[in-house]
Amino acid sequence: MYELFIAMRHLTSRRRQTIFSVLAIGLAVMILMWSQAMMVGFTEELYAMTVDRMAHVTVEPEEDEDYIHLYRKLTEEIRSIDGVVGVSPVIAGQATFEHKDKNKNVVMQGISVEAHDLVLHITDDIIEGSFRDLDAIPNSVVVGDALAEKLDVEIDDTIDASFPEANPASLKVVGIYDSGTPQDATLAITSMSTAQDFLDVSDVVNSILIRVEDRERAQEVSDRIDALGYPASSWKETNPEIIQTLKLEGTSNNIILGLIILIASFGIVSTLFMVVMEKTREIGMLMAMGVSRRSIMMIFVLQSGILGLLGALLGVTLGAALATYMGSFTYEVGEEAMAGISTIPFVVRLQDAVTIVLFTFLLNLIGGLYPARRASKLDPVEAISSE
Amino acid sequence: MSEEKIIEIRDLTRIYGDGAPIRALDGVNLDIERGEFLAIIGPSGSGKSTLLHQIGILDTPTSGTILLNGVDITKMSDRERSRMRNEELGFIFQYHHLLPDFNALENVMMPLLISGVKPSRARKIAREMLEEVGLADREGHRPNQLSGGQNQRVAIARALANSPDIVIGDEPTGNLDSRASDNIYELLRRLNREHNQTFILVTHDEQMAKKTDRIIRLVDGRVVEDSG
Repeated sequence: MYELFIAMRHLTSRRRQTIFSVLAIGLAVMILMWSQAMMVGFTEELYAMTVDRMAHVTVEPEEDEDYIHLYRKLTEEIRSIDGVVGVSPVIAGQATFEHKDKNKNVVMQGISVEAHDLVLHITDDIIEGSFRDLDAIPNSVVVGDALAEKLDVEIDDTIDASFPEANPASLKVVGIYDSGTPQDATLAITSMSTAQDFLDVSDVVNSILIRVEDRERAQEVSDRIDALGYPASSWKETNPEIIQTLKLEGTSNNIILGLIILIASFGIVSTLFMVVMEKTREIGMLMAMGVSRRSIMMIFVLQSGILGLLGALLGVTLGAALATYMGSFTYEVGEEAMAGISTIPFVVRLQDAVTIVLFTFLLNLIGGLYPARRASKLDPVEAISSE
Repeated sequence: MSEEKIIEIRDLTRIYGDGAPIRALDGVNLDIERGEFLAIIGPSGSGKSTLLHQIGILDTPTSGTILLNGVDITKMSDRERSRMRNEELGFIFQYHHLLPDFNALENVMMPLLISGVKPSRARKIAREMLEEVGLADREGHRPNQLSGGQNQRVAIARALANSPDIVIGDEPTGNLDSRASDNIYELLRRLNREHNQTFILVTHDEQMAKKTDRIIRLVDGRVVEDSG
């Protein structure tokens, strides 16, 4: 590999040009790496704020049915599906809540606390009282903080629940939660039997909520439940706008950053053109010594590739370091600015670093082809006698 | 040995340009035998460098053939021509034709590396060559740290590194004073005797030409004198 020997010597002989070329690529790659870490962090955060707070898969009653009657059996079947980490049958219906002279229409959801917590981590949101008391105390309820405020209730207060065709009940407030979503003003959670008694139904549910280990596999699980005869939909089907948002942001981001690297690579290509001009006579000498046109081309493509690789490695290292450093702080970006995300966690992933290095390296190899080709097309006689 | 033809040139013509064509070589016929030490002379523009470039496979003729060791080099691919230049030919050009980024030893190693010789072996051969031209103590110097005569000695060592059959020199003493010039001539002559390689030198220098075994004189792209 004398081509590599010659290429390396060309690079080390004009040290300043080499350093600046590597720095130019390095800076561009650093920005790309840093921005990628931010993008991944942003995406993760957005998922944590949205998808991870909803059921990954929702099962509904069979067609023409209002309820899932044999939900216990179905729940067991779903639980045995590989990758499912939580299954929660839910009975829900409307109710009018009254306390003192205030009233509000709400959605009453009857759940099993333990099962529901595995799907939606509800117990994390409790700010007063406890979800556990729902199972221990009959006719008890947990309400959102906004709802509690509207009805002016506190722990141990009693709410009168009623609705047409429902059995009126007096529900004792045993907990107040704050999920940070609009549901806090409309959702009241009770035990399953409390809700079933209120709604005047037998032991049935009208949906089953499921959490899977890897949210990307939700569709798979949903398809398997479909096959059991119950209509199921994954979060991707119920919330296509989340995917769309991320795709759009990701694509435009990548195009802009790709262009930055392209521009830096142009710098290397133009430097290489100058080198080819400067070294015309040497190229002629090498040809006279028996270096084929192909190998001449290789010598210059290698130079471009090496500059690209060094720049990419430098840039990825700097970008990862910067992202890690900045990730150790949290930045307030404004509550409403980005879908309710208030801080940016940077996530540095090895796969991104590898992709960026390969992309930059390849781009520079391709960019180097043009000046390298120019060098290989030189006429040896003219090249040797050039000044 | 001296009966063996190493170069056979037949009706070699090289025309430059399209509009007002220049016949740089005009039907040259020439046979050169192994081990010959000859000079090509002539006024500038006579075609002597063009002829040398043809023999060196750096250029292709407009018409005619060149057989090198019996092989027609005018019909070869770039890869074959490159290999031939590397293995069969050694070039000595004027001053300033070493690779400036490489030291003397590396310059001499280069043709060996190009032909695929292992670096350790290439280094050994290159050291021997540098010793032979009297520059063993200058191997780490770059061309700009050496005098004109020393540069030319390195160039000679490099031309001979791959033990080529034919060594061609384009004004090998062109930029040197007469003493350095004599030294280079003596060196070439000695190498010619010791290795029985064919030396073809293009020169302006009549004094030097007279010391060779054979003089080819070109005028207007034709051989007008062939004495030896």
